[in-house]
Amino acid sequence: MDSYTFQLYSQILKIFWRIFLAILIILAAIVFFPYVKDVLVMFIIAGLLSVLLSPLVDSLESSGFKRGMAILLVMLLILALLAFSFWLIIPRIIHSVEALITKLQSNIISDFGQKVESFFEKHFHNPELARNVTARLDVIGLRLLGSLEGFLKSVGSFLASIVIIPVVTFFLIKDTRRFKKTLISMVPNQYFELSLNILHKTGNQITKYIQGQAIDALLVGILSIIGLFIINIVFSGSVPYFVLIGGLAGLANVIPYIGPIVGAIPALALAILNNPPQLPLVLLWIVILFIVVQAIDNALISPLVVSKSVNMHPLTVIIVIIIGGKIAGALGMLLAVPFTGVMKVILSQVSWGLRNYKISSSLKLRDTFSLR
Amino acid sequence: MENPIWGDSIFRKSKKKEDIFAVLKQVPIFADLSARELVEIEKIVHKRKYKKSEPIIRKGDPGLGMYIIVKGSVEIIDIDEKNSEKTLASLHDGSFFGDLALLDEAPRSASAIAMVDSEVIGFFRPDFLDLVYRKPKLGIKILLALAKIVGERLRRTNELLAQIQEEKK
Repeated sequence: MDSYTFQLYSQILKIFWRIFLAILIILAAIVFFPYVKDVLVMFIIAGLLSVLLSPLVDSLESSGFKRGMAILLVMLLILALLAFSFWLIIPRIIHSVEALITKLQSNIISDFGQKVESFFEKHFHNPELARNVTARLDVIGLRLLGSLEGFLKSVGSFLASIVIIPVVTFFLIKDTRRFKKTLISMVPNQYFELSLNILHKTGNQITKYIQGQAIDALLVGILSIIGLFIINIVFSGSVPYFVLIGGLAGLANVIPYIGPIVGAIPALALAILNNPPQLPLVLLWIVILFIVVQAIDNALISPLVVSKSVNMHPLTVIIVIIIGGKIAGALGMLLAVPFTGVMKVILSQVSWGLRNYKISSSLKLRDTFSLR
Repeated sequence: MENPIWGDSIFRKSKKKEDIFAVLKQVPIFADLSARELVEIEKIVHKRKYKKSEPIIRKGDPGLGMYIIVKGSVEIIDIDEKNSEKTLASLHDGSFFGDLALLDEAPRSASAIAMVDSEVIGFFRPDFLDLVYRKPKLGIKILLALAKIVGERLRRTNELLAQIQEEKK
């Protein structure tokens, strides 16, 4: 066996062991996933928070604060905001949600069913069709309530983790560079620059993507709340809980294509339930409001704040939302698109690295040249 | 003959010191930094060990940053299309290379190979840019020092070009 064949043989053996190890890791991940799901969700939330808060910390650091002190100040600010939210906003939102659930459970199916039945009887003279439609609506309504319950349970576990998440966030902001340095120190020399470059580029793009999505959601939420507030004033309380509904619309906006529609549905449904005197006009204004908010988002906000490198095909969005829902319920559906965005960034950067770095051979540079 | 571009004044030699802090002090880019500022640099650099004949950077790879030799010896080599190697410089303890990659991602113009088992410190553009954002005063000091080195190198290249043109006449 000459030296070249020997090196080739050892290369193949190395690749085989790496594939074997990768399969083992994937299998272990699948087996342990249900046990670590909650911890994982907690870390993802802490990760998101650290990405969102880092610019503020960096900015304080650049104006002369020590990093530890800067993080502490930002964390205190966030804690103050949280305390303020608990004291002022959260009870109102919880009250809104409770009132909404009670209203939904007591009225939605029967009231809405009766309305649909009378509508069909009046216009189509077909009570059978009306009963079929209401029966189907019953099923959809129950499913929606089930999803809402699941979502609230997720929120409950989030509230339970509220002590741990800030601690994890603190260390993620403080020691991210150290974690990266330790991680990269374990990479063999051959892949060192490639890994470092990919790690930085991926980190930058993911940060930009998450920050962009957060700003976008915040602005869409604020615009929706203002719009619904105006409709509420003009049509005298026709859209109750507009802060909650507007906030949900902002949150739903994270999901492209589907999000804006999902965001508008609660406002329309609540207006129908509330049944104000000029219902068709109110519905029309709500639809116009969400179209205008989307137009402003697409023309002004998104192009400025949301990274274009993670554009996704509508079909991809639908598939990942279904998968996200299967894995982690409503929270999974919400996180599915950002998670896929992150994966897309990682894959594109790895692909860029493999195309641009000459790492095809692990042989020493000089040996490589002498083999040519 | 001393290479005018890869010469000793650019890759300044220093005494053998294993301590990263001490080595950093010897590098012109960090020459004007205070002890406290050097500690900040020490936090973001990467210490690596290379075996004899192992490549540290390869010609054509995207530039990522500079390396400072802590211990050992590194050759900067250029390989042309016919695969013939040309040694541009032999560097030793305290010397540095790849500093232009701190400014942009242009492909490496030459390869660097460890001639003996070597220890190097890597200082990379993403960490540097992050430092410029977080600690602007420190970042400006390094950028100015880097500009001086690039300016000096450009001046010497111009002198060499003028000399060649003079010889042709």
